[in-house]
Amino acid sequence: MLRTLVALMALLSVSQGAFAYLDPGTGSMILQGVIAAIAVVGFTIKSYWYKIRAFFGKGGSASLLDDDEEGQRPE
Amino acid sequence: MDTLSSSFRDPSGFVFLHDGIVHRQVNNVFADNYDALISSGLYDKLVERKLLIAHEEVTDGSVLGTRDCYRILKPQQIPFVSYPYEWSFSQLKDAAMLTLKVQHEAIRHGFILKDASAYNVQFLDSRPVFIDTLSFDTYTPGTPWVAYKQFCQHFLAPLALMAHTDVELSKLMISHIDGVPLPLASKLLPFKTRFNYAIATHIHLHSRMQQQHANNAADATPAAGKHSSLSEQSLKALMEALAKTVQKLTWKMPDTEWGDYYENTNYSDRAGEEKRGLVDRLLGSIPDRLNIVQDFGANTGEFSRIAAKHSALVVSQDIDPVAVEINYRKSASDGPSNILPLIQDFSSPSPAIGWSNAERDSFLQRSHCDALLVLALVHHLAISNNVPLPNIAALFASLTRWLVIEFVPKEDSQVIRLLATREDIFPNYTRDGFEAAFLHYFTIEESSPVAESERTLYLMKTRP
Repeated sequence: MLRTLVALMALLSVSQGAFAYLDPGTGSMILQGVIAAIAVVGFTIKSYWYKIRAFFGKGGSASLLDDDEEGQRPE
Repeated sequence: MDTLSSSFRDPSGFVFLHDGIVHRQVNNVFADNYDALISSGLYDKLVERKLLIAHEEVTDGSVLGTRDCYRILKPQQIPFVSYPYEWSFSQLKDAAMLTLKVQHEAIRHGFILKDASAYNVQFLDSRPVFIDTLSFDTYTPGTPWVAYKQFCQHFLAPLALMAHTDVELSKLMISHIDGVPLPLASKLLPFKTRFNYAIATHIHLHSRMQQQHANNAADATPAAGKHSSLSEQSLKALMEALAKTVQKLTWKMPDTEWGDYYENTNYSDRAGEEKRGLVDRLLGSIPDRLNIVQDFGANTGEFSRIAAKHSALVVSQDIDPVAVEINYRKSASDGPSNILPLIQDFSSPSPAIGWSNAERDSFLQRSHCDALLVLALVHHLAISNNVPLPNIAALFASLTRWLVIEFVPKEDSQVIRLLATREDIFPNYTRDGFEAAFLHYFTIEESSPVAESERTLYLMKTRP
């Protein structure tokens, strides 16, 4: 029991930021590692593709999160 | 100190009211993190991209914090607080994308979001904005995202349920304050979603993993911990994958009963034109400054757009998720931006929820306004929902000083339709009965018949 508790605390202390206050959930932590490992392959290829595009003077970003639709909204 | 009861979970600080203005205390324990947020340039970048609410530090001693206080922040104020169970599909989707954009920018600056709650997002000028300035933790490379589960519960699960099962399921956020539990979402989603890679992993498999590990502390061994390390590149790829998942979730709007209401009204073009002119004139004749006008039963917001000329903000509420979706998309793309469309069932408005029933305020606690616009709604409340007219008058009088209200009599085809399938047990539902009920709480400043219709529009003022 004590060993388990120590292991649990070790896991959580390793895997969280200094001010984490949520329970991240063991299953969720393991799963995101698996999903991210698969996602990183595709995203790395996409990033290289955009680098090649940029070399030929074409714009755009590999990331869906760079675009914040500035200028598309009426002020 | 008037601490808000919504703000106790995170020990980094809390939110309180001072002279009616929302302030945020940064606790000493979070001092280094807060300083780094500012000095790293992350705060400026997020505010510049309109992703995070701007604030100023109160340094003149006019607002005092507790003993634990490092800084007092006075953020830009949100005039009307809304909750995810009141948002249309696109509002929740935009809030999800906002959260991921904030996270993306945070990682670039060496930070990471320590939570991903939908309640960290509010709507300002028809767009979502992140309001929790203390959500940023220092990022240690190699660590995973502790808020991944919360992001799935607060955003992915309700969005997937709205898109694939029923749009009304956003209401599950009322019964589950920390988002829709993934086992519940997994159970409610149709079988076909198991063949959708993103939903199959983030929700169905996620749910199974949670259940497998929930009561099994033995799993929490260093071996399990090994899997929970995540390179920065992988973390970024996870955010891109989540963004793609959110972006791909679409809701195909059905044609609901009132979805095309304004295209199919029972009154003539002239009556419509006259009604718009009357509403414009009555709102314009109110001598007080209007900061908030509420439009109850707003449908797609046609009259909210008229009210928006007279008020700093119009909260435009309707029971129909299709109408609210159309209203939001119009406001976001064409403006005016001072309209906040929300889903609200007036026969049973949002309750207060959470710890002590005080974490999220009820609809009525948030609904005080300078003027209330109630068009083509009273017959639904009085006849479809059997609410006596005096009760309707009492509620409205408790919320507003000014009331612009339309009475639709029994001779109107909309009311004839409501009464067609039921016994008419409403002898007092007449113009006289309506006026008598409302005169108890209001004075009638003006009443005008709407030409080429059976309807009457009133401007009323609450009795002192």
